[in-house]
Amino acid sequence: MSAADCRHARLHIGAAPRELPAEIAQHLAGCAECSRFRDETLSLDARLRSALEVPLPRFRERAPPARRLALAASVVLALLVAGGAWLLNPKPALAGEIAEHVAEEAGSWDKQQVLSPADINAVLQQAGVRFDTSLPVVYAMACPFHGRHVPHFVVQTPDGPMTVMLLAHEKVSGRTEFSEQGFRGVLLPAGEGSVAVLTRNGAAPDEVAGKIVGAVHW
Amino acid sequence: MKPASHGTTAAAFTRLLEMLQPDLLRFACWLARDRSVAEDVVQETLIRAWKSREELKDPAAARPWLFTIVRREHARLFERKRLPLVDIDSIEALGDPALATEGDAGLDDLRRAIMQLPDEYREPLVLQVLGGFTTAEIASQLQLTQAAVLTRLFRARNRLRTIYGLAPAEDVE
Repeated sequence: MSAADCRHARLHIGAAPRELPAEIAQHLAGCAECSRFRDETLSLDARLRSALEVPLPRFRERAPPARRLALAASVVLALLVAGGAWLLNPKPALAGEIAEHVAEEAGSWDKQQVLSPADINAVLQQAGVRFDTSLPVVYAMACPFHGRHVPHFVVQTPDGPMTVMLLAHEKVSGRTEFSEQGFRGVLLPAGEGSVAVLTRNGAAPDEVAGKIVGAVHW
Repeated sequence: MKPASHGTTAAAFTRLLEMLQPDLLRFACWLARDRSVAEDVVQETLIRAWKSREELKDPAAARPWLFTIVRREHARLFERKRLPLVDIDSIEALGDPALATEGDAGLDDLRRAIMQLPDEYREPLVLQVLGGFTTAEIASQLQLTQAAVLTRLFRARNRLRTIYGLAPAEDVE
């Protein structure tokens, strides 16, 4: 194995660590140093992805009011031109805030121990919500969100852990699917409020979200 | 409802746009390094995409298709308005949201470092990591050879390795 082989391998690894040609993969099998370089680069890439996925609510919050009005006017114009009523839907901002909140409680996803009904009820009582689910709850917290306490659960499902937020005071007009901060999620109307369900492994949250909607009472 | 394309109804197309809109805005922000410009670019992109939705034959190709439109709209806006070049020091002084502290200083340092990469390194890197493009697709987008794209991506990551606490690799010719 020559130094030139290693330089060639590192060019590919440093440029496209997830897109390596067969000869580089073969080289890695016999070169511990280049394997370590590949592992470091993959680790850097995971961090890069997090860095590039800038939380969007911050971008929106900090737009000056005049700009927001101008933006709103041009969005309405765009709506007329395009004929797509979807542009009026403001819920992506809510979805972004939910995803940001969930990202800040990253440790919640890794909980394994199923909580007792008493633990769950303590959270529900704080928020004034009733929730009857058969899914095992491994994380329960009444989180401050938009000035209120919102039940934030992680439930175990056959498709992996899913985060559930019961938003008694966030009315949505219809189902909204979103993809934010590496989470796939759905917002569903539930009575006078809404329910958000997020997954972090790309699994579809809809089936669980439907069950949650049927199990929540404000 | 009239089909927008093979297997893509207007409603399905709308859902696709809704789902991809956050990443389009992020991509535009990293291209323009200015959120107001990025919002303009994404608005133009959405309008253009809606008008051209018949061109999207496969919904699975929506993401690269829309990223391509963002790139073109950004270039068009830049050309049309002759936007001034962004001064990285002024971005930091204004406390640009993309550089805002979130309690993770390492991530903020990395964002600043990405923001300071020259366009020729930052653009392929963002296309690859955020957009999910292959090096061949990036080469086609940027009208470069694949070897040139590999070199740019290598150098972009090499500059960021030190921010992440890793030793830089030997540069390539």
